[in-house]
Amino acid sequence: MKTVVSDPVLVIGAGVAGLTAATQLADSGIRTVLVDRLPIVGGNAMDLYKAFPTDDCFYCFEGSRTRPGIRKCFYRSAILDQPNIDLKVNAEVTEISGSPGKFQAKLSVGPQYIDSKKCIMCGLCIERSKSFSLPSPQCQPQAVIYDPELSDEGAKKAEEECPTKAINLGAQPSEETVQISDIVIATGYHEMKPVSIDEYGYGKIPNVVTQLELAQILDPNGKSGGALVRPSDGGQVKRVMMVQCVGSRDENYYPFCSKICCVYALKHANIIMLERDSVQVAVVYMDIRTYDRHERYYRVARDAGVRFVRGRVSRLEACEDGTLDIIAYDSLLDKYLKFNVDLFVLSSALEPPKGSAELIKSLGLHSASGFVGPADSISENAVVAGDHVYVCGAATGPAEIPESVTQARAVVSMILQSRK
Amino acid sequence: MTETEEKADPPAVMIEPIDISKLDPDFREGIRSMPNGEELSACFACSTCTAACPIANTWKYKPHQLIRMILLGMREEVLSSEEIWLCLTCFECQERCPQNVRVTDIFFDCKNLAAEEGMIPDSIVGLAKELVDKGQLYVVTADWEREDMDLEPEVPGLSTEEFKTILKGTRTGQIVGGDE
Ligand SMILES: Cc1cc2nc3c(=O)[nH]c(=O)nc-3n(C[C@H](O)[C@H](O)[C@H](O)COP(=O)(O)OP(=O)(O)OC[C@H]3O[C@@H](n4cnc5c(N)ncnc54)[C@H](O)[C@@H]3O)c2cc1C
Ligand code: SF4
Ligand code: SF4
Ligand code: SF4
Ligand code: SF4
Repeated sequence: MKTVVSDPVLVIGAGVAGLTAATQLADSGIRTVLVDRLPIVGGNAMDLYKAFPTDDCFYCFEGSRTRPGIRKCFYRSAILDQPNIDLKVNAEVTEISGSPGKFQAKLSVGPQYIDSKKCIMCGLCIERSKSFSLPSPQCQPQAVIYDPELSDEGAKKAEEECPTKAINLGAQPSEETVQISDIVIATGYHEMKPVSIDEYGYGKIPNVVTQLELAQILDPNGKSGGALVRPSDGGQVKRVMMVQCVGSRDENYYPFCSKICCVYALKHANIIMLERDSVQVAVVYMDIRTYDRHERYYRVARDAGVRFVRGRVSRLEACEDGTLDIIAYDSLLDKYLKFNVDLFVLSSALEPPKGSAELIKSLGLHSASGFVGPADSISENAVVAGDHVYVCGAATGPAEIPESVTQARAVVSMILQSRK
Repeated sequence: MTETEEKADPPAVMIEPIDISKLDPDFREGIRSMPNGEELSACFACSTCTAACPIANTWKYKPHQLIRMILLGMREEVLSSEEIWLCLTCFECQERCPQNVRVTDIFFDCKNLAAEEGMIPDSIVGLAKELVDKGQLYVVTADWEREDMDLEPEVPGLSTEEFKTILKGTRTGQIVGGDE
């Protein structure tokens, strides 16, 4: 099917990859429907605190340089000021029909309780009821979010008192169908909740967390203001142990290497050792895979005094005082080492997000361990998933932000080229 | 079947693990602060040093393990190990280490630290004693060989007295203990 320059594109997922693709398509004059199932955009990157390779906030990556005046939060201006982007949050694609180049996508859009164009983030509603919250000062859309499950009397008051009349508690979900020529899948990843790996006690012992949860503890915008505290009692953390390859490289869970967990585990280890007062970190690993330029994180971690233990955790016991007694087998020394730690952090596998299998099936795409694989396995063009169907970012499998952004740009350039 | 669903407990009897909290983190820093120790922490346990070593195959603790033990703070075990004294000081490990860890030099540092604490194997003390007492390690004994070649029995100009005096004043002399 031949497409013309102005044909609209559907981008599924508004993480870093989807946002990059959507803003660049829109900047090129292409109408773009950007859909995300969450109430705010940004995806997983919203929760990372400092991001490698620059140790900067993720909003500041490469792409922001082309937009004048704004170093931080370029997506704020990109999303709000770009008339070619039709952003739909709380929304999912329920059905895709038609043929390549002439798709129809049915969208189900959740109730729009808050009109983000009207909300001025004055905070009045948050004072009235806990059903309103502000996910982050930089969140996009720039508006509070409302959780109907927590609704109370205060919520009704807020609706009446909102200075801009931005609240509509009676909002209903809606459905709509959009005509598009191309589809960009940017659905990202989900960090596995390792509840079923009994030996680590995740979900049962409060001081056992995942790396993404640790990132939120370390975030200065978080509950503890960035202080490294124990989830169990808010007490100061003095000793941390991390375990690599939890659910990755394991035929019982995911056979693949999640590729970036070694890098962000060491990113976290370095932040803790170098920026928090006298905390000792140990990392239990099978291989450290800080690929290409990220080797630097490994080197810094060793210099900082992170204790690396090649081997596996043998036993873990929760003590009365909230600490954990851990015995790890050190295969380099052929000895068992005993540790006592406050926080036990699991580098859990990055898995395909919910709904991936259905999406892959409905569009007849190739599955690569549950992520979206290339259409042509010989050319291995990672971003071409099918006829008029593209994929970028962690939807292709675990990927870092710079890689996700690069892939998103590759998708944009392929779409533009196909329309000449 | 219910039996197969039952989970096996971890081993009930476990050989006493090494308690990390009882190790000495200052040991790592101590070695690291010495002129040879700067790159110590760069070690990533690749074991190239052990692969390079011509004699470590007979050692209980291999070179990469000794470096690892230093990093963990296993001061006692390292300083009392016989391996640091068995080292031939051939520098093969050091030359091949991909992280520029000065393995051989670090073992020298360990020997010096061990010596300061009086942890020197008897065989080494014996050698030192020989050196201090005789002023040389290999005494020229086979005079007849010299005679056969028409040389005078005494090596001309070889005087060990000065060496003995100097050596007595050194740490080697102190280790052997002044017996005069
Ligand atoms: C602990 C941790 C630390 C990390 N640190 C770094 C770092 O320092 N530097 C770095 O470069 N990378 C880091 N990463 C990786 C980084 O998170 C990813 O590279 C990046 O978030 C990928 O962006 P994405 O847009 O591809 O996917 P995502 O961020 O996962 O975004 C996907 C979006 O799609 C939406 N979505 C999914 N399915 C659907 C659907 N069916 N319908 C509608 N919407 C859908 C989701 O809600 C989400 O908003 C880290 C990852 C973890 C886990
Ligand atoms: S009261 Fe209205 S304007 Fe103020 S934060 Fe709430 S929704 Fe936004
Ligand atoms: S990146 Fe590291 S922790 Fe993650 S799966 Fe690969 S080897 Fe394991
Ligand atoms: S060769 Fe160097 S880096 Fe490798 S184990 Fe030996 S000391 Fe460590
Ligand atoms: S210097 Fe010592 S440890 Fe190093 S290779 Fe030679 S004998 Fe082995």
